[in-house]
Amino acid sequence: MASRNKRLAREVADCQKDSSKSGITIRLVHPDSLDKFVGTFPGPQGTPYEGGTYEIEIEAPEGYPFQPLKMRFITKVYHPNVSSQSGFICLDILKTSWSPVFTLRTCLVSLQSLLSTPEPNDPQDAEVAKVYLTSRERFDETARYWAQVYAGAPSSTSPNGASESEGGEDKQGRRAAQLAGIDWGIADELGAPWVVRFAEMGFEPRKVVEVLQLLNYRADNRERVGHEAVLERLFS
Amino acid sequence: MKITINNYHAIALWRWNLKAGLQQHQPANAQPTAEGEEEEEEEDDDDDDDVCGICRVAYDGCCPDCKTPGDECPLIWGECTHVFHMHCIIKWLDTESSKQQCPMDRRPWVTAGAAAPPPDAPPAPRQAARVA
Ligand SMILES: [Zn+2]
Ligand SMILES: [Zn+2]
Ligand SMILES: [Zn+2]
Repeated sequence: MASRNKRLAREVADCQKDSSKSGITIRLVHPDSLDKFVGTFPGPQGTPYEGGTYEIEIEAPEGYPFQPLKMRFITKVYHPNVSSQSGFICLDILKTSWSPVFTLRTCLVSLQSLLSTPEPNDPQDAEVAKVYLTSRERFDETARYWAQVYAGAPSSTSPNGASESEGGEDKQGRRAAQLAGIDWGIADELGAPWVVRFAEMGFEPRKVVEVLQLLNYRADNRERVGHEAVLERLFS
Repeated sequence: MKITINNYHAIALWRWNLKAGLQQHQPANAQPTAEGEEEEEEEDDDDDDDVCGICRVAYDGCCPDCKTPGDECPLIWGECTHVFHMHCIIKWLDTESSKQQCPMDRRPWVTAGAAAPPPDAPPAPRQAARVA
């Protein structure tokens, strides 16, 4: 235990020394315990995450460094290998490929590079991975929007900045759908404002999309289906 | 001028001779400069070369379980040329997750020699200067 703590204390100190260069920071959650940390790193350049700052919850197990660190995104991030709900990460080095030469800092660097190189074929969030594989454009737009809303990225990094001026209900609906982690291509097609309206009643947004698709609740068909039928499905 | 030395107190410094160890244990086809891991970035913590990657204590120090550096806590070389405190790599190889692989390059760990070369091998001058 003593050696584990000594090593961890040194890692935190070393990281503080070069944090101005790397942009990576590590701090203790409780000043007198070396079990939990919060790490941060900047979103990698040239990605939708650029300009954002990502906070990671880190837990060092008792067997560290012979057992892997546990890491989770605190900052919400839209990425195939990170759960958009819980922040859990799918990354081999934190599981089967752990090595005792890894440190708090090198693991944060690995997460940073995971953001630039998604592995959609080994996803943590299947929904996000599906969008990534079907439309990079839609994926990038949502990931960028999440970076702005949750990670503090400036909205000027958006190449679609021009179209950012407050649009109508459709635009707002699309934004809300994006925040809910819905493939907004599908939300747009169903009519994003309707999707959002049901979601705002407290239903899981992804379930709303599922039900609306199932009932073909769109355009002229909406009246025929009726929103009672939708609610009934949602409650079942 | 005449100086009479009444008595003197000899002080010696030692270091593990890592270079000699490398040459001695290195198979002919090994690439000593091959950096295996993704976490090796441009900026190197310049003492990273001199610490055991597992405990992050200097090679010349001892592993966290030992009190005295030196023969009590020897270094060990893999055929891949990576060096660790012997006690540290044994602890790692004892875990299931190690899969008997070198922590640096994940190749199967094969010990290259029983232990480090004798510490009385002539140290490289630069190393000696650094210690002094
Ligand atoms: Zn060691
Ligand atoms: Zn030892
Ligand atoms: Zn090796």
